[in-house]
Amino acid sequence: MAVIDVKGFKKAYDGRLIHKDVTFSVEKGECLGLVGGSGVGKSVILRSLIGLEQADGGQIIIEGQDITKLNEQELVPIRTKVAYVFQNGALFDSLSVYDNLAYPLREHTELSEQEIGERIREQLNEFGLGHAEKLRPGQLSGGMQKRVGLARSIIIRPRIVLYDEPTAGLDPYNTLKIREMVLRLKQKGVTSVFVTHDMPTAFAVCDRFCLLMDGVVKATGTVKDLTAHSDGLLPRFVNGLEGF
Amino acid sequence: MKNSITNFIRLLGGLTILVRQIFRELFVPPYNFGLLMDQMYQIGIRSGPLVFVTSISTGMVMALQFGLGLEKFGGKLYVPKIVSLSIVRELGPAFTCLVLAARIGAGITSELGSMTVTQQIDAIRALGTSPIKKIVIPRVLAALIVIPILIAFANMIGIMGGLIVGVNDLRLDPLFYVQKVFATITLKDYFAGFCKTPVFAVLIALTGCYYGLNVKGGTQAVGNATTRSVVVSCIFVLIGDYFLTKLFWVFEQWL
Repeated sequence: MAVIDVKGFKKAYDGRLIHKDVTFSVEKGECLGLVGGSGVGKSVILRSLIGLEQADGGQIIIEGQDITKLNEQELVPIRTKVAYVFQNGALFDSLSVYDNLAYPLREHTELSEQEIGERIREQLNEFGLGHAEKLRPGQLSGGMQKRVGLARSIIIRPRIVLYDEPTAGLDPYNTLKIREMVLRLKQKGVTSVFVTHDMPTAFAVCDRFCLLMDGVVKATGTVKDLTAHSDGLLPRFVNGLEGF
Repeated sequence: MKNSITNFIRLLGGLTILVRQIFRELFVPPYNFGLLMDQMYQIGIRSGPLVFVTSISTGMVMALQFGLGLEKFGGKLYVPKIVSLSIVRELGPAFTCLVLAARIGAGITSELGSMTVTQQIDAIRALGTSPIKKIVIPRVLAALIVIPILIAFANMIGIMGGLIVGVNDLRLDPLFYVQKVFATITLKDYFAGFCKTPVFAVLIALTGCYYGLNVKGGTQAVGNATTRSVVVSCIFVLIGDYFLTKLFWVFEQWL
């Protein structure tokens, strides 16, 4: 059974239909790459998968539960098992790196402060951020902010992770670091949806791709499938040809 | 004109929804006393100097204006009465709340607006927590607790300002001044002014939160929302002041 099942998803902004009929699914442990031109609404789909945007039609089924019918309170259990990695980290700038990571643990676990501290230090060391514990987000580089954002999102060990352009604007070192972390999570069996324009990273981490265009999924499959079929849409997108 | 009416209806609708969300989550544990204390410090202690300057200068200017005017008719002995009564019934609460609307309203809107455009509000939701509980409730409660306390101090300081001018410039006896103040102000007078402050406090904090959470766009939108929030808060205080004064006047007649 699919862990994420999107059926006939519709979304409009200011009376303009952005998504007419988006349908795709993600299997357990799979990483799905959601690709398409700028402004096609990839992030909107990603935000809808965790209830940050309300769907105007269709269904979004997460582990068998349709989340389009849920209110904010009812979405809380979904949000503890689905993590969202924001494009710019979205760290709380009034809190230190330590407190940013402690936030979800204090909210959703019964861990003692000592256990929380141990978990945070372990996580920060894994992300190569052991020295940044006491720093504020404003004192971190863009790459470090994204890595802390990823560390915060996965610290309560979610079963699904949604990545919104996690490598956008990063140098090769930080891109590689994020890529390694995504692959490590994948090895642990975490299901994920990866929105990006960074195709080398997408090819490295994604098992399958969904190509969005004109408000629908134009093509879906592995890189091999999409290169061979679907009018060569994926190669056209990757090579920056017209139409995207 | 049509746009202004639409925006006003949208504002009222938004505030109503915000109030409903606050009541829905206010009594649901866990309670964030730490966040409340932090906001009480931000809103209360940090507004102290501004409230002090505003109220002392109001009292001093009032005493000076009335003193110089009434001296011509030999009426400067009425200065303690007029100054204390006008400060306690009207100028203390209304004028101080106008200044606080600018300081607190702008502070809340710009902070929440920045959090909105940098997706921190979305992050609070995505991490399975509520921005109403974490952000809005502590600010509204802190304003509700702290602003009346600030107004109580403002009333006292305003009357002290009048005393300073009365003694130094109008050559009034300090003991006479204090006796006149206590003889003039009744509890009814005090509460006619003071009871407006919780209403002003909630209006200021709610308006600030509403505009901050509804920022759409970038940093320019944060600036625009902040300006709008201050203007609307001030209008709410002024219009609210009229209706509350009228309401308390009816009560006073009835009592």
